[in-house]
Amino acid sequence: MAALTATAPAGPRKLLASRKTRIGILYALPVVVYLLVLFVYPILSTLLLSLKDADGSFTLHWYADALTGVNLSVLITTLRISAETALFSLVFGFVLANAISRLKPLWAGVAMLIVVVPHFISALVRTYGWIIMLGDKGLVNESLSGLWIPGAPFQLLYNELGVVIGTTSMMLPYTVLLLYGVMRGVDRRLLAAASSMGAGRVTIFRRIYLPLVAPGLASAGLLSFILSLGYYITPALMGGPNQTMIATLINQQVTKENQWNGAASQGVILLVLTLAGLLLVKAVSSLGASRKKRNAS
Amino acid sequence: MMELRKTLTGRIVLTAVATVILLFLALPIVVIVVTSFSDNAFAAFPPDTWTLNWYKALFADGSKWPAALSLSALIAAISTVFSLIIGVTAATALVRSELPLRSAVFALVLGPLVIPQIVTALGLFLLFEPAAMLGSPIAIALGHTVLAAPIAVLILIATLRGIDERLEDAAASMGAGRLTIARRITFPLAAPGMIAAAIFSFITSFDEFYISQFLSSVDTVTLPVQVYNSLTFDIDPSVTAVSAILIAVAILALGLVALVRWIGSGRQDSLLSVENTVGVANPGGEVV
Repeated sequence: MAALTATAPAGPRKLLASRKTRIGILYALPVVVYLLVLFVYPILSTLLLSLKDADGSFTLHWYADALTGVNLSVLITTLRISAETALFSLVFGFVLANAISRLKPLWAGVAMLIVVVPHFISALVRTYGWIIMLGDKGLVNESLSGLWIPGAPFQLLYNELGVVIGTTSMMLPYTVLLLYGVMRGVDRRLLAAASSMGAGRVTIFRRIYLPLVAPGLASAGLLSFILSLGYYITPALMGGPNQTMIATLINQQVTKENQWNGAASQGVILLVLTLAGLLLVKAVSSLGASRKKRNAS
Repeated sequence: MMELRKTLTGRIVLTAVATVILLFLALPIVVIVVTSFSDNAFAAFPPDTWTLNWYKALFADGSKWPAALSLSALIAAISTVFSLIIGVTAATALVRSELPLRSAVFALVLGPLVIPQIVTALGLFLLFEPAAMLGSPIAIALGHTVLAAPIAVLILIATLRGIDERLEDAAASMGAGRLTIARRITFPLAAPGMIAAAIFSFITSFDEFYISQFLSSVDTVTLPVQVYNSLTFDIDPSVTAVSAILIAVAILALGLVALVRWIGSGRQDSLLSVENTVGVANPGGEVV
């Protein structure tokens, strides 16, 4: 009798499961087919093209080209500007997220709105805003001259400073949002406990708070680094010839020089760098999760 | 006392620095909007005299902007339809069914969001160029959907997870058929999420630059490509007015999403008196 009641629901449940599986496959089909045809296949053909010589034989010389001479210096510039952007958006993001996490809910909401809304406005438009602001007669230089700052007006556009200002403002929403989430997750009782045992402000920050938010800091920094790598609009519009980044080079090779193989090899290099960065982010966040678990216990 | 003063100064400094950083984010946008009404579009802030000339110039004879605007709107509309079809089916598959290789499908959906857009654009160029489809609005819309559909999928996953399945079970227990449940319960509850997905898909396509630039021809120039061109090649002061319009469209869209969410949140609560968890449970740390 007991065996009968136990097995009775198994039949319909199995039937339901297989029906649910069939529906799942059917409904997943559009997105899978679409992305396989218009996303995976194009990227695979980019990879193939980067390995193909003019006569169709296998070659690595597009990669050799991409990693020598001017192309190499563009790659190094890309890494440098991305690192600078990551550093600044991390520092500013940390300060802002920290300040927001101490605000009253209403003001925190307003501040978050100012952080999030620009993110949904076209990067092209925001870059143009910076161009207007940073020009010789722009708001920034006019204000600096008005304050009798020696040396003003400064050259803030068409150099690395301009590019980094622009890209940092594009990456800042990401770091602020990520770090705000991490900071909200910090267990305040740990800080209180340290304080009750006589630890000073600096000690608490250095020994308790920083280790707790460190994984979040690392992933936020890495993420803004990765996102900056493929950036095109801001460096192209706000930089000079020394700020050519890899995306600009890819674009030039396709639209102006018809050098598809070269562009493909650079695209693959950019892709590999991005994927390596993402793996690092994943490693860091799993490290952070295990640390959090240990602290909680 | 010493400790208190230190905290107060620290707090003031922190607030000042935070304000400067917020200005850093907001000012470029404010400056564009103000400059678009300025007599001299390229200098002097704040403006000396105000004008609507740049907006009028947008629709003057021989202006390239109306064509670019309608092309972008057309492409965004097509892309939104594709994204919604893909989004609704994919979210249903990922949330409401037992899907084999579920995490692989989810990774595929996230792919276009994490891979540099220039790489996606290059791949699409290599796909459409041999097919002689460069400059075709359909090709650009298909390309934009690669970026917009994943966003729609993520929003709709959150929406479906937020719908209490007990409401559907209750309807079923009272004899409602599958179609009736979908039409009377699931769809009305999912509608705010679908509208949000549609708005974000539209904006994604409307603002997209990389794919448009690679796939456009002389005759098919989308609005962002036209903005980029007028910033690099021919200096056209109307570009400030266009930028201000793009800002207004984005803010309007966000406001609309917030409004729809606000209306939608009341709906389920009125059907379900049980206290719902605010927001959407998101196991696996999937970012939505």
